[in-house]
Amino acid sequence: MKRAYLELKQLTKAFGKGADMVVAVDAIDLEVQEGDLVTLLGPSGCGKTTTLRMIAGFHTPTSGDVMIDGVSVNEIPPNKRPTAMVFQNYALFPHMTVFENIAYGLRIRRESDEQVKEKVARIMNLIGLEGLADRQPRQLSGGQQQRVSLARAMVMEPKVLLFDEPLSNLDAKLRVSTRLEIRKLQQRLGITSVYVTHDQEEAMTLSDRVVIMDRGKIQQVGSPVEIYSHPVNRFVAGFMGKANFLEATVKALEETEIVLEYCTKTIQAPRWDKRIKEGDEVTVVVRPESVFLEESQEDLIEGTVVNSVYFGSQMLYEIEMPDGKVLQAEIADPQDHPQFAKGHTVGLSFKSRSLHVLAKE
Amino acid sequence: MKQQSKSRVQQINEIKKLIREPFLFISILVIFYLLIVFVLFPIFQVFKTSFMIDGQLSLKNYRDVLRQSYYIRPLFNSILLGLIVATIGTFVGFVFAYAITRTPMRGKGIFRLIATFPMVSPPFVVALACILLFGRSGIFAGAIGNIYGLTGLTVVETIAYAPTAFLALIGVLQAIDPSLEEAAMDCGASRGKVFSTIIFPLALPGIVSAWLLVFIQSLADFGTPMILSGNYQVLSVQAYLQITGMFDLARGSTLAILLLVPTVIAFYLQKYLLSKKSYVTVTGKPTSATIKNLEWYIKYPIYAMCFLFALIVLLFYGMVVWGSFQKLWGVDSTLTLRNYVQMWKIGKKYIKDSLLLSLIVTPITGILGMFIAYLISRKQFIGRNLMEFSSMLTFAVPGTVVGIGYILAFNNPSFLMPVTLTGTSIIIITLLIFRNLPVGIRNGVAAIEQIDPSIEEASIDLGADSGTTFRKITLPMITPAFFSGLANCFVRSMTAISAIIFVVSGRWNFITVAVLGFVDNSQYAQAAAMSLLLIAIVVLALGLIQLITNRLGKGMQSFSIIE
Repeated sequence: MKRAYLELKQLTKAFGKGADMVVAVDAIDLEVQEGDLVTLLGPSGCGKTTTLRMIAGFHTPTSGDVMIDGVSVNEIPPNKRPTAMVFQNYALFPHMTVFENIAYGLRIRRESDEQVKEKVARIMNLIGLEGLADRQPRQLSGGQQQRVSLARAMVMEPKVLLFDEPLSNLDAKLRVSTRLEIRKLQQRLGITSVYVTHDQEEAMTLSDRVVIMDRGKIQQVGSPVEIYSHPVNRFVAGFMGKANFLEATVKALEETEIVLEYCTKTIQAPRWDKRIKEGDEVTVVVRPESVFLEESQEDLIEGTVVNSVYFGSQMLYEIEMPDGKVLQAEIADPQDHPQFAKGHTVGLSFKSRSLHVLAKE
Repeated sequence: MKQQSKSRVQQINEIKKLIREPFLFISILVIFYLLIVFVLFPIFQVFKTSFMIDGQLSLKNYRDVLRQSYYIRPLFNSILLGLIVATIGTFVGFVFAYAITRTPMRGKGIFRLIATFPMVSPPFVVALACILLFGRSGIFAGAIGNIYGLTGLTVVETIAYAPTAFLALIGVLQAIDPSLEEAAMDCGASRGKVFSTIIFPLALPGIVSAWLLVFIQSLADFGTPMILSGNYQVLSVQAYLQITGMFDLARGSTLAILLLVPTVIAFYLQKYLLSKKSYVTVTGKPTSATIKNLEWYIKYPIYAMCFLFALIVLLFYGMVVWGSFQKLWGVDSTLTLRNYVQMWKIGKKYIKDSLLLSLIVTPITGILGMFIAYLISRKQFIGRNLMEFSSMLTFAVPGTVVGIGYILAFNNPSFLMPVTLTGTSIIIITLLIFRNLPVGIRNGVAAIEQIDPSIEEASIDLGADSGTTFRKITLPMITPAFFSGLANCFVRSMTAISAIIFVVSGRWNFITVAVLGFVDNSQYAQAAAMSLLLIAIVVLALGLIQLITNRLGKGMQSFSIIE
């Protein structure tokens, strides 16, 4: 059993005073297991970066604790903390070569020249920076700068590695390949990591666990699968992946199923939240890929195609529902399915297993 | 980038294009004529005079340099003073800039205001305050020894020119991304290590450049040593005395050239350092976050130094205010308005002349500066580099040299200027225009270059012709820079002394010259009153222009009025 290695206890950060006070992080609790990579995901201003900076020691918590390996580090200044950060803008020292950048922390620690050389060479090999030791940062591509920044943090063998949106300055393709590399490296070295991002795809592909934050509070913590399939509220559902929200009424409750009425038609969904009672108004989370479309039939919900976009691997439809809402549907392998033109009336059904019912907030 | 080697065909094409735009062509010719007459010709005259003895080319004046103490001593003194002032001034400026950019000090706005205030007042006001404080009948008479000499000059010039270093360094420190410091701390570096391995090396080119700026200002300063140098002879004052006192144009010119050489070297060194710009942050968005929880033993000494300097500045200027109301300084401290009345009686004409001439000079300089800036940054023509060089030249040349150049060039008619200008208002107006032109041009170039050509293209693409585009797009975008150029020019005109003192006359005189006159007669109270009036006028003008700029532009980039 892994143990909680990094713990945040009632961690709070408020900026300003009096009427201007803004609570950026509001009494959050979090445990990160040893060797895990946990992502803080949320829109800008949700407090994720502030949380990360408190872990690094750049912000002093207003109240609460940051514990690493069971010890509170609140009083330890950033330069003495066993954390290392990969910065959003890389923060490479422009007046030093790649080698000097990576060696910087080791030299501060007064390690012997030999040791420094060996460690830097090893990490450069590992990260794929061979042959770049004598370059200046400005002579490197964005991707290479990002690697140097990563190497500089990793070479310190930190207890906790922190990532502050490290990929946001890279182009889309590089972002995908780099995040895979980061994940492989992190798993191989088993470094406990906290990763801040606003990109849900990044969070999904990288993390052991995802922490969804909004307005200074943690909304949900879980594995990417858990969060995607069982979001606790509309915010999480909408932030993690695309989601349609249908307003429905609970008609009957069964052991594992919940029977709903939506626009005079009946739909079934798995029963998760036991607090939901018969007659409740609920919100059904429908992922676009769980929608089936066919020619309209008696017992199907009817909708009108208002827009269709072809993506090659999939077809995206926008369908006006009987209650006037527009629902998005993604049809994979569009070649194998009938295609519907704008204005066409279609019959909708849903993949029951992947529907998720939320109590009214 | 401009290509260095252009083919002949291209050159011919350029000429053809120019001829097709007669207005542009003629304006370029006129500007060249003006630059040659009012910038190059006077400086050439100083060189010529220093190399001529009785109409013959000779190096005698320079041979004397090596032998005679009246040359070598002022040269040595000026440079020594420059070294000291530049070093202390840069240090003070750096501490201030660090406090503003890197600490959570309270009242930054006020500190900033106080620290930059000496820039809008002529430096001799600080000198005057120094006499009131530490002079023979001063409040703290003798507290810092004899102020007439190196000590006094150092104190006064440091107060006057540390702001220059401060403003230069604040830009430098702001450009250093705080996340670099965080990264260094994250790697385990202590505050001291962060400073010595990150901030200092990154700021070093800027520090050297600030040092050179202060060095130049100290070398070129005329007002302060005129009042305080005592037996400590410096070049600018000696050159002036040789010409106005001894009527020895050759010796004065030679001293002026000796002053010019180190200044120009320092100026181009400084420009070179700035152009290298090697260590601007490499990538990414700049983060605004800074580590603000500094240790007390770093914070408080810095605060104390800022506080002390601010206090000294306030003390000096406060003393001028206080002194202006005293019946007789050091003897009778009854409060009175008599000084103002007297000052007004004697100084009315000086004030009127200064205001009138500055008001004429300011708009002309502003428009001409903008126009030249536009030509330099958006047009291709033969001699573009020469135009840039000569229009910026007066920036590097000490006022004393320019002043001597003007009397040498315009005392008699010549083929370039067929009428005598000495004694007229024209000589003062042209001198001020061409001395202040570089500021306007630099402001203008910065403003124009910040306009992405694609913005203008977008306007043309949307159907506007180039005239409309200039009126609706370009002009509004450069307007703030234009007004800040005006403000700058006005302040510099009103507070000018080093060059102006050579070209004033009975008919046209200047307020700064009047203040020097009062000081010379030991009428310190009147001098104080007039200095305050001068400062009031300047501050009022700055406020007015600030108001106009604020009205003009929300969302427009604001340009700092003070250079």
